[in-house]
Amino acid sequence: MKIVQNAANDTLTLALDGELDASSSVLLDNELTKPEILNFRKVMIDCQRLNYISSAGLGVFISHLQRFQDAGVRLVFFNMQEKVHNVFEILGLDSLMTIVPSEQEATAI
Amino acid sequence: MVAFREKLIPVALPLAVLSWLALLVCMLLRAYAPAASQWGTPPDWLILLTQAAFAAGVFVYERSRPDRLRGAEFVPLLRQLLLGPGLLAAGAAGLHLAERLVLPAGMATNPLLLNTLYTINLGLFVYFLARTCYAWRSLVFFRAQPSTRREWEWFELLLGATLLFRLVQGQNLHWTVYPIMAILAGLGVYLSAHQQWVAYLNRRQKWEVVFLQAAVLGVMATYLVYFRYLQLAPELAGPLAQHAFLLLTSFFAGFYAVMGLLVTLFNLPTAGVFEQKREEILSMQRLAQLIQKGQTEHEVYNLLFDSAVQTVEADAAWLDLFAEGANPFLEHKVDATTRQGICQLLTDYNIGHIEYLNNDLPHSAGFRALGLEYGSLIVMPLRSSKHHYGTLYLLKRFRQGFDRENLSLLQIFTSQTVLSIENLRLLEHSLQNERVKEELKIASLVQEGLIPKTLPADSWFEIRWHSLPAREVGGDFYDFLQLSSSRIAIIIGDVSGKGTTAAFHVAQMKGIFHSLMLLDRPEKGQPLQPSKFMAMANQALSHCLERSSFITASFYIIDYKERGFAFARAGHCHTLYYNAITEESFYFQTEGLGLGIIRDASYEKRIKNMYYDYNPGDVMVMYTDGIVEARNAEDEEYGEARLRELLSRSHYLEAEELKQAIITDLEQFSRGLPPFDDQTLLVIKFKNAQPMA
Repeated sequence: MKIVQNAANDTLTLALDGELDASSSVLLDNELTKPEILNFRKVMIDCQRLNYISSAGLGVFISHLQRFQDAGVRLVFFNMQEKVHNVFEILGLDSLMTIVPSEQEATAI
Repeated sequence: MVAFREKLIPVALPLAVLSWLALLVCMLLRAYAPAASQWGTPPDWLILLTQAAFAAGVFVYERSRPDRLRGAEFVPLLRQLLLGPGLLAAGAAGLHLAERLVLPAGMATNPLLLNTLYTINLGLFVYFLARTCYAWRSLVFFRAQPSTRREWEWFELLLGATLLFRLVQGQNLHWTVYPIMAILAGLGVYLSAHQQWVAYLNRRQKWEVVFLQAAVLGVMATYLVYFRYLQLAPELAGPLAQHAFLLLTSFFAGFYAVMGLLVTLFNLPTAGVFEQKREEILSMQRLAQLIQKGQTEHEVYNLLFDSAVQTVEADAAWLDLFAEGANPFLEHKVDATTRQGICQLLTDYNIGHIEYLNNDLPHSAGFRALGLEYGSLIVMPLRSSKHHYGTLYLLKRFRQGFDRENLSLLQIFTSQTVLSIENLRLLEHSLQNERVKEELKIASLVQEGLIPKTLPADSWFEIRWHSLPAREVGGDFYDFLQLSSSRIAIIIGDVSGKGTTAAFHVAQMKGIFHSLMLLDRPEKGQPLQPSKFMAMANQALSHCLERSSFITASFYIIDYKERGFAFARAGHCHTLYYNAITEESFYFQTEGLGLGIIRDASYEKRIKNMYYDYNPGDVMVMYTDGIVEARNAEDEEYGEARLRELLSRSHYLEAEELKQAIITDLEQFSRGLPPFDDQTLLVIKFKNAQPMA
């Protein structure tokens, strides 16, 4: 699992590369726990290279959802592979989180 | 040649005894004139022949005896030699010599007595020489090369040949013999260089050996005096014994003894060092043994401390262990001020944690300021690659007290100790693991007990289930509860994560399921709605589920009177269904958020109720993601599509057969790969029949 960060203005983009399982989700959790992340208006998660997400990986997003909402930070997923999107959908997260097809749409939000 | 030598051995002793008796008779005949006149005077050559035969017999006999050296028991070998033949021969010769000396000059002794005693002493001396030579052979051969054995055999052979000199050449030796004798003497000197055995003696044994060798030399000296003296005695009836052979063997026996004596003497000052090395080896052995015996850590530290203090002969020492706090774990003749002073200084220099040797404390300003009464210091940390266990400090009163040897030995000691401590900890660890495993086994049994085993015997539907946790305990769960005679509640779910934590939440979820079922009161017109059940479960879980965990579940209430069921899905896998009328298999595509993801009242809005009327022959397949996400060696997922196709093909099977068909297909797909996630499967087949009364 590799996480590439790119901060521009009020937007932070995290590109996830690989499998988000129990061990790699710790890395992501460390990134999302950083207090300075709440200074951004929007956090975009690029899922193009995300091949797999386990329940532990989902748990990371779920656990930070409320905190982001309270701080007024938008969490936006884009470029999600169908397999991964299916996991979000089954769990019902697609109605809870913003998932858009492309980066353009994500930026437009 | 060898066979000939073998044949000689049994006749050697009789030959020696007989030839000695013959020698005695000859000597007496020559000494006693009346007898000689009657029996005739034996010639010189006969006496010399008997002497030679006797010497040869004794030597061959002694040669064939088993090696008297047992292992490395050098002192007993020498002691036996001296207390047996040595003392006897010296005593006999000494007494005879004393008797001769105290006699007034000119007073003739009885020639018969003199010659008898002379013959006895000669016999004893030859026997003593043979014993000595072969005792020396044992010592020469100790840890020697095979070539030494060959050299020795040549030496023996040549020595045997010298027996003939006297027989052939008479009283005066021809000059050609001298070089041969010189060569033999040289060979004897060469063989005397084999003194390896001395190195294996400790200090006490060395002293003992010095005295024993000196005593052996004393016996030979006694004989030297004795023979020199008797040579001049007019009463001596026969010619003197075999000088070339006896001279050479005596020379070798004497020279080897002198060499041994000198080597032992020169080794005496270093005996202490050897003993110290021995002590060190023994300490190492003790340490190594303790590792295998699995003693306590305290014992290992104690042993290290004692061994270290003893081997380097430290005047003061202490051992600090980090686990023991500020107080030293072990100390030896050291006071708190010295300890604290040195530790503080090392910390100030920032070398408290490394190996440090200072052999000249008074020259270092820092140590001089402490006013120590010590000159040398070694600091030896006990550390492995991961852990620093403690530090060993050793002090000596004098400067230059420690050397490289001490340091490397201490390094071995400490690394041995660290190894043994780590072994002990590993052992402790594995014991603990064993306990945890046992407890997990119990947890697994408890969870096994939570799984419903029987269902009310109704004939309007058939249900079969299968459950396989990926570890001892799992995060999957399912349960049934008969609500009334015509209604049954079923739940299937999955706690995020695996193992023990998940298993706890499974137990919780079961409790929630059974408690909430009490709220179902259809007789009062208040049947429990599945969405309401989910909302209340979510509320109950919100207080006891950690923030990053969630639970997915599907909840069904089947009503056979109505021929329908109500259900809700909370983020769980879609339910697979086969409709017997339309002959279609499909997934119920309902919305619903997993439990524990949002924890306020808004959750209820995100759960939908779904109602469906079933027909006989319909099949419902409920499962957890461990089934559809099972992977094969190519990392492909089993998938919903494959499961649906299987149902389309096999819908006509009974519930049990259908369940088996799914499991078999799954196993074929994953081809023996162990399940990565818990797998749970429920198969319901609806029937036409009415329930039994």
